[in-house]
Amino acid sequence: MSAVVDADVLIAGGGLAAQRCCEALRRGGFDGRIVVLCDEPRAPYDRPALSKAVLMGERDVSTLAYREPRWYEEHEIELLLGAAARELDATAHVVELEDGSRLRYGQLLTATGSRPRPLPLFGESERVHELRTAADAQALRDTLANGSGELAVIGAGLIGLEVASAARALGLAVTVIEAAPTPLARALPPALGLWIAGLHREHGVDVRLATAVESVEHGSRDIRIKLSDGSYVTAETVLLAVGTVPATEWLKSSGLGPGAIGVDAGGRTQLPDVYAAGDAACYPGPHPEQRIPTQHWEAAARQGATVARSLLGQEPLPSPPSMFWSDQHGRRIQLVGHSPDGCHVELDGDPAASDFIAWLTHTELPPAAMLVNRPDALPQARARIAASLPS
Amino acid sequence: MTYVPVIDESACLAHGDCEEMAPEVFRVEDVATVIGRAPDEQLMEVARACPASAIVLVDKESGQQVYP
Repeated sequence: MSAVVDADVLIAGGGLAAQRCCEALRRGGFDGRIVVLCDEPRAPYDRPALSKAVLMGERDVSTLAYREPRWYEEHEIELLLGAAARELDATAHVVELEDGSRLRYGQLLTATGSRPRPLPLFGESERVHELRTAADAQALRDTLANGSGELAVIGAGLIGLEVASAARALGLAVTVIEAAPTPLARALPPALGLWIAGLHREHGVDVRLATAVESVEHGSRDIRIKLSDGSYVTAETVLLAVGTVPATEWLKSSGLGPGAIGVDAGGRTQLPDVYAAGDAACYPGPHPEQRIPTQHWEAAARQGATVARSLLGQEPLPSPPSMFWSDQHGRRIQLVGHSPDGCHVELDGDPAASDFIAWLTHTELPPAAMLVNRPDALPQARARIAASLPS
Repeated sequence: MTYVPVIDESACLAHGDCEEMAPEVFRVEDVATVIGRAPDEQLMEVARACPASAIVLVDKESGQQVYP
């Protein structure tokens, strides 16, 4: 490295991908200077608990850090808390921060994640929440904690459904409003989405499918939502959970983005010395027909480590089938692989008892599997799907 | 207490749920390691909660794998 740099490896973003990249670099013997820009005022922490145990009051957000502060000192990793990247000058190898300061890097990992997709129709109100950060989860927990009143959840994706489940368990009346005909429509075939809708209805959630929000009125004590079927839902609290958008606006002038940043299997972008991982990145899928931004915990963990391997001059490890999990109404739901469009659904077990595996098969694409309360079947599902992937 | 937990290191992604549920049995750094013992029932609960199904339970009396 010829020029003097502020960071041999600069990581924009302080989430799981950043954390795993730091760990793998130090484990691999990298002894250069590592600087991490954490836009939140806290060190990297585990987000999956935010929509589950934190809302239930079982865990406090202060317990979610991946590592103690001492770990970062011992591994000589500099965390800049509350520091967000504003602009990338890839030619000069410089990242400008929100406060105007500039950092020169040798190699850059862009791991700025995603943010909730905005729904401007709902305006600004203390009653309207979204859930991405520890601060968001704390605010929602404070609102739901007394266990009374009504919650309207806009969007039947993973976050919306997990919050609906937690809020019901706390005793709130919950309505989920989804514009698509089935929940989790991007991830699951309609038959399984409808099974999930049924699970929520059994637990007292009012699930409105194929229903859009037409207008919103803010009253003094609640919010009145007019739906496309002409009906109204009134709620003291609203959660907006209609998916996410990659947080890549800061890369605009660099030519990367907009949207998720396409990378190769080693996490390299089209710009020299710039890598991407996590929700902001789009990696090649295990099958050439399926290049899908996965935006799940496991993907971020693996991709952070993958970029570290590239920085250490190593080849990427083969990528196993993707997996995400969710906990809803006491059921552990796991999806392995990418559910192929137009797949055939084969059930093994008893959906009525929430104890089954659904194999999602397709004549040309690799299969996927949804497991409900069958964590013991995960190794078998992984092996079957991995065996069908091109090597 | 006849179950012995073993971590499948190729599957473990260091989610950390095991340490959260049973800190006397599991410690999670780059991967989980087993540092102690616990009643069979508790081990089964933790093994089923692992999002990566990376905890293998072996019955030390029969030598058989009991989970997954």
